[in-house]
Amino acid sequence: MNNYVKTTKMTKANKKVIRKQLKASHTLLKHEGIETVSYPTQNLVVANGGLGNGVSREQLQDILKGSSSVKCLLMPPNKPYAFVTYGCTEDARQCHAALNGRQLQCQGRTVTLYLSFVDKAEMPPGLKVLEDFVSPEEEVQLLEAVDWSFCDDPGDNTIQKTLKHRRVKHFGYEFRYDNNNVDKNKPLSGGLPAVCHPVLERCLKEKHISIWPDQLTVNQYQPGQGIPPHVDTHSAFEDTILSLSLGAKTVMDFRHPDGRSVAVVLPRRSLLLMKGESRYLWTHGITPRRLDIVPARDAERSVAVTPDPCDLTLNERGTRTSFTFRKVRHMPCDCAYPSTCDSQRPLEVPQRFSLPCTDVDAVQLEMRFVHTVYDEIAGHFSRTRHSPWPRVGDFLRSLVPGAVVADVGCGNGKYLGINPAVFTLGCDRSHSLVQICADRGFQAFTSDALEVPLRSGVCDACISIAVIHHFSTQERRLTAVKELVRLLKPGGKALLYVWALEQEYNRQKSKYLKERGVGPVEGVEPGSVGQMDTTAARTVGTSSSAAKSSQPELSIHRNRTAFGSQDLLVPWHLRGGVQKEGQEPSHIGEKGALLASGSTPVYHRYYHVFREGELEELCRKVRNATIETSYYDQGNWCVILEKTL
Amino acid sequence: MKLLTHNMLTSHVKGVTKGYPLLIKATEVKVSEVEFNPQFVSRMIPKLEWSALVQAAEEVGHLNDLPTELLPDYENNEEFLRKVHRVLLEVEVLEGSLRCPESGREFPISRGIPNMLLNEDEA
Repeated sequence: MNNYVKTTKMTKANKKVIRKQLKASHTLLKHEGIETVSYPTQNLVVANGGLGNGVSREQLQDILKGSSSVKCLLMPPNKPYAFVTYGCTEDARQCHAALNGRQLQCQGRTVTLYLSFVDKAEMPPGLKVLEDFVSPEEEVQLLEAVDWSFCDDPGDNTIQKTLKHRRVKHFGYEFRYDNNNVDKNKPLSGGLPAVCHPVLERCLKEKHISIWPDQLTVNQYQPGQGIPPHVDTHSAFEDTILSLSLGAKTVMDFRHPDGRSVAVVLPRRSLLLMKGESRYLWTHGITPRRLDIVPARDAERSVAVTPDPCDLTLNERGTRTSFTFRKVRHMPCDCAYPSTCDSQRPLEVPQRFSLPCTDVDAVQLEMRFVHTVYDEIAGHFSRTRHSPWPRVGDFLRSLVPGAVVADVGCGNGKYLGINPAVFTLGCDRSHSLVQICADRGFQAFTSDALEVPLRSGVCDACISIAVIHHFSTQERRLTAVKELVRLLKPGGKALLYVWALEQEYNRQKSKYLKERGVGPVEGVEPGSVGQMDTTAARTVGTSSSAAKSSQPELSIHRNRTAFGSQDLLVPWHLRGGVQKEGQEPSHIGEKGALLASGSTPVYHRYYHVFREGELEELCRKVRNATIETSYYDQGNWCVILEKTL
Repeated sequence: MKLLTHNMLTSHVKGVTKGYPLLIKATEVKVSEVEFNPQFVSRMIPKLEWSALVQAAEEVGHLNDLPTELLPDYENNEEFLRKVHRVLLEVEVLEGSLRCPESGREFPISRGIPNMLLNEDEA
């Protein structure tokens, strides 16, 4: 701890720096998974001192020049922070004291640096990696035992997709990817292959497990393939999960709900044990890429990858096959992690879902991942929706006084009062949100955007802002557009805004991605005040992972990163007190907000984000309307549609 | 729900062709003062179905002396515009229901908000 206990009172300026530094640490944790510590170490993270926010290496080196033993300086591309490692802790501490709160002039703006110490990453609790668990001979035997000529498809149950997607095969029980659960009534004949028995016996003998597993999933990953972050469904499997890595090593990312992330190297022929918190609470996933950053010194060992800039090297991936052994669970899960437990909290757990094929499925999906969520988060959602987007305001203000306007999907009524010279009617599917509009004195009613109970042709104009992307089939999205056109009088105009797949357009990052200083902003979405850029150069549109529209699986999006596919579940972390009227406030743990948060519910909303040209394509299918303008605005694709005369 | 809003609402129950106007049953009505803007009222009038407005005003007990037919040259008739203003913007149904004239389906109004959501089989 700090040995300099000052007896003089801290100045106001000092207090401000400390406050801002805490905010910076919080943001680093939440958005970058970087955990800072309060005790001095040799490693510093410099928030706002990164290439991503315009600070150059020369600038940083210049201000570090005063201090002695800089061992190295790591500036990850596109990140709003840098890492500095000193020869000794004392030098790092001096640097911290000297530079924390220091301001730099950077591309015409003033940037304030906030320094914090970082330490070696710790493994998620319950996680162990046992190296050299099988011999090379056993590895060969296991790999040869898998007959890939008939493999299961993790995408959907019809056609097997090969090249773009990892290959999967199940033994023991059929695993379903539409609900991420095991079909407990369908045990597969044959059980687990005999070739696995020696490995499992070893696990029993060494007391890693106490029960013989009865389900095996074999995954084969070619370089560039991965698996989205997930928690293995609690109700499907018992606690300890074993995973054997064969053929090549890889890096698996573990992420805690509070934002901390740890990258763990899984060496070849190692056995990964996930137990307790690492099995029930942290998500695990493998980023689809061909290169991993791994520690250089302990290259063959399993360690958590830490921000020690002097110790990193690149590993090129090979073909890796994992054998994951699990014990099927028959009683509901009663773990200590209800926030991720589908037995204890069925509504909130983000099981991966496939895209609906029928309208009935679509309605069900939207009920679960749009309507129910908005009703639950209405209060918090409304509190984060205050600033109207300027160009929407422009559209509304350009209307003739006395115009009748429908805001279909009005949310909390943000746009209902913008132009008092027109009569704006709001409607929304969420009764809670409509209530907020009414409380604010606006005229609004509850209805579905696919069937708006207004007379045809009664509107001079309509707006649909950030609505249509919640419909889960193209047919429904088209119906929504047609409905808007139906409401218009001939010559009337509709303004449509939908989230864009391309959050970076014309090399201009949307505010959603762009760095804008440090400080936690809740519920940040495309088009609102910006946050740190967390993309590792994933300019969507060129990335092949974005073209996974053939894959019907919905992935869970990581907030404030580029969208990896067009159909997503986007998390919403509910904060602050009252949720629905009459419910108890969200429990904030005694130690404060950043607990191992069983206390902060995470909701997921479904989005179909539009690629460039897609909205126009959709609008062109409406015969009695023409596109007057189309443009890109802060992470949204926008169209002004005019009803033909 | 103001009567201006009501004038634009229609029933969208499946198969219904004559779903307008919705019949109002009001159990709680509020009258409040709203700033009178003659141009605004003037501009709203062409958008209205006049007979539906008259019917609605009667259903909520605020017909008073509102003419059953639209007066010609209303733009310059301040007295008339004031009557229209009152009925359109100052009278609000807080509790009650709206009924589809053809199917009989009722849509509840609570805390000023009509809930027009249909069930799956009605859409």
